[in-house]
Amino acid sequence: MPAYIQGRNVNLTFRPPNRGPVRALYGFDIDVNEGEFLSIVGPSGCGKSTFLNVLLGLIRPDSGDLRMHGKPIAGPGTDRAMVFQEFGLLPWRSVQHNIELGLELKGVPTETRHNVSQHFIEMVGLSGFEGHFPHELSGGMKQRVGLARALATDPDVLLMDEPFAALDAQTRDLMQVELLRIWQEARKTVLFVTHQIDEAIYLSDRVMVMTKRPGHAKKIFPIELPRPRDYEMRVTPEFNDLKLEIWHALKDEITI
Amino acid sequence: MTDQTLPNPAVPADDAVTRETFVERYRKPLLGALAVLLFFIAWQAVFLVVPFNALFISKPNLIFSGLAELVVSGELWADLAVSAVPFLYGFTAAVVVGVTIGIVMGWRVRVGYALDPLMTVFYASPLVALAPLLIVFFGVGVSGKAIIIFLLSIFPFIFNAYAGVRAVDRLLINVVRSLGGKEKDLYLKVIVPSVLPYIVAGARIAVGRGLIGVLVGEFFAASEGIGYAIAKFGDLFALDKMFACILSVMIIAVVLTEGIRWAERSAFPWRVGQ
Amino acid sequence: MSELQAVDANISTAAPADDLEAPPKSLWRQLEPTVLGVGSIVALLALWEALPYLVTFAPGTKLFFTTPSQIAGTLWTMFATGTIWAPLSVSASGFALGLGLAIVVGLPLGVLIGRSPTLNAMLDPFITAFNATPRLVFLPLVLLWFGLGLWSKVVIVFIGALFPLLINTYEGVRNSDKLLINVVRSFGAKEWDIARLVVVPNAMPYIVAGLRLAIGRAVLGVVVAEFFGSEDGLGVMMVQAAGQYKVAVVFAGLIVFAGLSLVMTGLVQLLEQRLTRWRPQHAAEY
Repeated sequence: MPAYIQGRNVNLTFRPPNRGPVRALYGFDIDVNEGEFLSIVGPSGCGKSTFLNVLLGLIRPDSGDLRMHGKPIAGPGTDRAMVFQEFGLLPWRSVQHNIELGLELKGVPTETRHNVSQHFIEMVGLSGFEGHFPHELSGGMKQRVGLARALATDPDVLLMDEPFAALDAQTRDLMQVELLRIWQEARKTVLFVTHQIDEAIYLSDRVMVMTKRPGHAKKIFPIELPRPRDYEMRVTPEFNDLKLEIWHALKDEITI
Repeated sequence: MTDQTLPNPAVPADDAVTRETFVERYRKPLLGALAVLLFFIAWQAVFLVVPFNALFISKPNLIFSGLAELVVSGELWADLAVSAVPFLYGFTAAVVVGVTIGIVMGWRVRVGYALDPLMTVFYASPLVALAPLLIVFFGVGVSGKAIIIFLLSIFPFIFNAYAGVRAVDRLLINVVRSLGGKEKDLYLKVIVPSVLPYIVAGARIAVGRGLIGVLVGEFFAASEGIGYAIAKFGDLFALDKMFACILSVMIIAVVLTEGIRWAERSAFPWRVGQ
Repeated sequence: MSELQAVDANISTAAPADDLEAPPKSLWRQLEPTVLGVGSIVALLALWEALPYLVTFAPGTKLFFTTPSQIAGTLWTMFATGTIWAPLSVSASGFALGLGLAIVVGLPLGVLIGRSPTLNAMLDPFITAFNATPRLVFLPLVLLWFGLGLWSKVVIVFIGALFPLLINTYEGVRNSDKLLINVVRSFGAKEWDIARLVVVPNAMPYIVAGLRLAIGRAVLGVVVAEFFGSEDGLGVMMVQAAGQYKVAVVFAGLIVFAGLSLVMTGLVQLLEQRLTRWRPQHAAEY
């Protein structure tokens, strides 16, 4: 039986004018199971974010086969939603109206939209901030809005492109705990791109390490730590062993 | 379940650098030139269908022969030269006086406080409305026109020089001082390079306003000059020559403003993209 | 007990708020810009008023001289007797029609050329040329085509106000955040939705700035169009007054035009505050 999301030999080359072509993805294979939390770690510029954009349908690959539910990805669709690193909130819209963006584009009636956004505002802990504009929110709160916006359209897959990279270390730790709580509640398939090995292990069912550009999967690590996971788990020997193993796989790919 | 190491596909060598073709590279100017050409062709061609009335409209071939006639007879040059004199006087005075006022306003905080509202009131008023009065007072010669041009083009210099001085980065002044710079170095290395781009940008705006001054002055009362020529050919229904003069003014305006823009880009490359 | 201690500790560690605040600015430092700004205007007016007592003018020059009090008196008479309304309404209608037309044409066209590189490339030479050229140069032609009166004025105002609006809208559209465009695309937005949800709101501050410029150009357009191609209106009144050496009337007209420009700019400012409540610099106004 094919995997829930299946990529075979996906190739993508950027061809900027008057410069050499840049192979972003080459022979990229991936299998994602339904409901799993899969993290992708890799060196900067290895194409991991590019892959999320391909999966989201914003970039078309040059060749290869990429399917979800057995159907090829042909463009953006409401079965996938992205949480962006730089939040991507519309600055002229309040928290509530940002969260309702996807529903609005789907043509959902106002009444239903309000109910849905209210539900997710509560889920991400932003009650009382419905009318605030993005510039009035902290980084962590902005990303909660980003998360609620992605969840509001009820996608099957949540794509997260280094969602916590723009946050400070403490906020990031708290957001990870929050994300796990929300993930338990919403039960989505999650593809999570990150630079941080800790973050990947803590959150994921499996961690995929990518090679340097042109990127493809190098090694996949199942993370068999029990769930629900608590913050203290990060200091256990099992956690650190995994961290070391993944680091060994990753470090050969990093060039400074 | 154990770790899964995946096969490493052999990556073929990169393709050659994608070179843009000539058309790709110059797509924008080529399209622009094409559009201009099409515009003139369409203008010429439309009178194959629509009846042509020489008292109401002209067409490109007539305009170009009219232009050639004005150039050959020397009329165009004479008119342009007459208009250029008050423009040069007025504009030069605007540069000198405007930049001085702006710099003093920026440098002396209290002068800035005192003059900012006053200058804003002047800038916001349509000073061109004083043109009839100035013409009546100073007469139709060079001085009346020069004063209108001066009044219209001084404010961009004042405001830009003022903004430029205020935008001088105090940190850079401290840096130069800390490296042992003298007062002279502050001016040469920090202040002038910071303020100059503002003044040149002001000049680009002022040129347009100065040209308005030329035209207003000459439409009112003049017996020569390019503005007068346009009005005169209009009164005579010599539309080919009128269009030819309008075209000349357009070309001069474009050359002046784009010339300053080009100078800005080449003289202050660090400001590109601001 | 422990609770009590905690409360105690809380009190003792609370920093005295006053110490942390910056010392208040002295009253003079706060008022200085206003006092100097208003003062210089008042001083200039006073000097102008006093000038006839300080200097003796040549008879020829005296004819051209007026004082602020005479100008104010003239303005007062014009409004009190209602003679201002007829020319003002003529000028204002030309202004409103021309500016309205420029908005209706300029905004959509600006969005179009901002989103379509081909259209932009093709129209760029025309926009550059017309924007660099003082539109006044077309006045004799416009008069020839539209005759003396309202429509010539509307056309002059229109071509004057169009380009700042068009160019600013275009700049604003070009500066749209690519990330936000990708966000709405990822939710399935089509080109129309992208324009509606991202491009136009993003361009709004630019459009408002363009509108301000356009108001200035439109007033200028009204003035010159009436100087040369109208039978009534404020501009006509001013030219006639200049010819009859009624200098105070010329200045009164100037002030009315400046007032028109200020009122319109004020309205735009109100509009801006309503439209851009989401911007950080307005955060303090809530």
